[in-house]
Amino acid sequence: MKLRQFFGTTALTAALAASAPAMAWSLKEAAAPYAGTEIDVVFLLRPGYEAIEAMLPEFEEETGITVNIIKHPYENALGEQVRDFVAGGDLDIALIDLVWIGNFAENEWIVSVDEIMEKYPDIIDPDLDMDDFFPLVLNAFGGWNGTIYGLPFDNYSGLLFYNRCMLEEAGFDGPPETWTDLKDVYGPALTGDGKYAFALQSKRNETQSADSFARVIWPFGGSFLDADFRSNLMSEESQAGLKFRQDLMQYMPDGIVAYDHAETVNAFAQGDVAMITEWSAFYSTVVSPDTSRVADCVEIAPEPVGPAGRKPALGGFSLAVASQAGEAEQAAAWLFIQWATSKANAGEYLERGGVPARQSAYADPALAETYKFIPALVESWQDGVPEFRPRFAEWPEITEIVQEWGTKMMLGEVTTEEGAQEIGERMEAVLEDAGYYSGDKPLAQ
Amino acid sequence: MRGRVSRGTILAFIGPAVVGLAAVGIAPLLYALWTSLHFFNLTKLRRVEFIGLENYGTVLTDPVFWQALGRTMTLLGIALPLQIGLGLGIALILHQPGLTLLKTLARLSLVLPMATTYAVVGLLGQVMFNQKFGVVNQLMGGADINWIGDPTNAFVMIVFWDVWQWTPFVALVLLAGLTMVPGEIEEAARLETSNWWKVLRHVQLPFLVPGLVAVLILRTADTLKLFDMVFTLTRGGPGSATEFISLMIQRVGFRAFDQGLASAQAIILLIITIVLAQIYIRVFYREV
Repeated sequence: MKLRQFFGTTALTAALAASAPAMAWSLKEAAAPYAGTEIDVVFLLRPGYEAIEAMLPEFEEETGITVNIIKHPYENALGEQVRDFVAGGDLDIALIDLVWIGNFAENEWIVSVDEIMEKYPDIIDPDLDMDDFFPLVLNAFGGWNGTIYGLPFDNYSGLLFYNRCMLEEAGFDGPPETWTDLKDVYGPALTGDGKYAFALQSKRNETQSADSFARVIWPFGGSFLDADFRSNLMSEESQAGLKFRQDLMQYMPDGIVAYDHAETVNAFAQGDVAMITEWSAFYSTVVSPDTSRVADCVEIAPEPVGPAGRKPALGGFSLAVASQAGEAEQAAAWLFIQWATSKANAGEYLERGGVPARQSAYADPALAETYKFIPALVESWQDGVPEFRPRFAEWPEITEIVQEWGTKMMLGEVTTEEGAQEIGERMEAVLEDAGYYSGDKPLAQ
Repeated sequence: MRGRVSRGTILAFIGPAVVGLAAVGIAPLLYALWTSLHFFNLTKLRRVEFIGLENYGTVLTDPVFWQALGRTMTLLGIALPLQIGLGLGIALILHQPGLTLLKTLARLSLVLPMATTYAVVGLLGQVMFNQKFGVVNQLMGGADINWIGDPTNAFVMIVFWDVWQWTPFVALVLLAGLTMVPGEIEEAARLETSNWWKVLRHVQLPFLVPGLVAVLILRTADTLKLFDMVFTLTRGGPGSATEFISLMIQRVGFRAFDQGLASAQAIILLIITIVLAQIYIRVFYREV
């Protein structure tokens, strides 16, 4: 089902390309009927959004479409959009974190790419080339239950940022290959005198669920749910990952449960921490001398391997057309999304600090010299787990449970077994209430 | 006199206020009541259904709710006596005769903490209590205290900021109460005894009671709905160390989107606030 629909989208794109009139398709002409249209979209306060915002005048001039950007911090973005869609508000484009896609799709707040292609064939760029997106990223960020809704826009993979100078000083000629080495070999050697080997951002918000909790269960073979959608957190593998995190905390700064992305990246950029596992989006922050004291020492590697392999954190956003938008706004919204995620603009987007999900953007091997994160990123996008965090509509409720009990585990208020038991029971109650066990809902995550 | 004012005039004066109050106070309350009796999740609006008192049952049997309420009451139990003690001290000092200019300046400066936006207080706290760069640790001789990441320290930090921000309010209310004491009575009392405690206990305190009751009611209500400062400072963490009742309700209603459950929590909180206010009035309030 998934494959059929995915290939359906791809085939339709190819057919549109083949049947394109002799005269070349141009954005300007495609957008002409929608000149003067205004569209509203939520953006985050992150480098990838600043990059596209800087490129926006070119799009607006070419199309006559005005893009109104409403900026929110990540923590507010879901709530703002949910309230807008529930109230039939003004948003014409949905900004979708990969864990929101099930929610948005099931509530029919977004329009599938297939529907857009059927409804507005004249605005589809023949060079859209859906196959050019990394399949894992397209499927995880923009797809739900076999249907593609959004195009990957602000794309992340977890990477290991390490301070080469600190590692060399301690006698290491490269980063740890495995999580066990990071803890047992690099941890003791790099911790002391107010410096720490590692920092794992674990603040009680989505950071705790995504960056901390999920990051340790997957490489050790664990997962949130088993095949029957029952909790898998009491499994030997999940427990191994959670206990590993407890052990690793001795090589992290005090109060790591209060560290969000900013604190973690700052600790690394100040030279207080030798290694962090962070999103690729923070690359520009740690290599800029304006924001980093260790800019010259920063190197990037894929996240370490666990007993179950390399299962790096996967996160990122897609843009999708909102179903509440009027016809002109839907068309204008698609034109913007298509332009922002296009092959043609991927290079400039990368230069300005964004991370495109286009395979073609990374084809030039010379790019790796300028952007050190590229090889690790491309490698990570081969091995990622789409359900790194379940993407169904119940995730907002479940993440709150994981955040609360995950933090309690780290603080030593409960054991990993007690915490996992609590999360499991509460998570199953949410899933039962949603109808997964009665067969009312498919077991899609 | 009463007969001269027509019913229409009375309605014209009172009506707008009543309509305004109904629109911004009563109607949302009734809507919250309606919501609390339904399964009402913003992301599952197709499933909205009447479930009677189920949400209330869930709240009352949820240990997380009671833990958050207990945490809130602990904060109230620690911060309020501190605010009253310090506020009374400041009021008594400012009530002393002489040094008029200094007292005026002091009174003006008391307004500053209250005038600071709650959220800004939280943001200031983040910077000032930063373990590595914060001014608080620097003032403590370069101490290495982890304020934000340690559950106990984070709670102490919240108490500190609450006391810093609201002690001046208590001081000003009590100072107003002190100015109500008739000068001749206070003067006569001071001629009778030089013991300041006797003057305070038998002459000034009766005039302070109405203000104290107002402080108790307002500060209790404020603490129960304390949100902005804590949200920006600790976001309820680390763990649940500073997750007070209003943060929990916000989390359920706007992060898990369960508006039905959050409404039930809010209604129960409202009932608790009203009961506490009634207790304060019955136990403490006395007409002078």
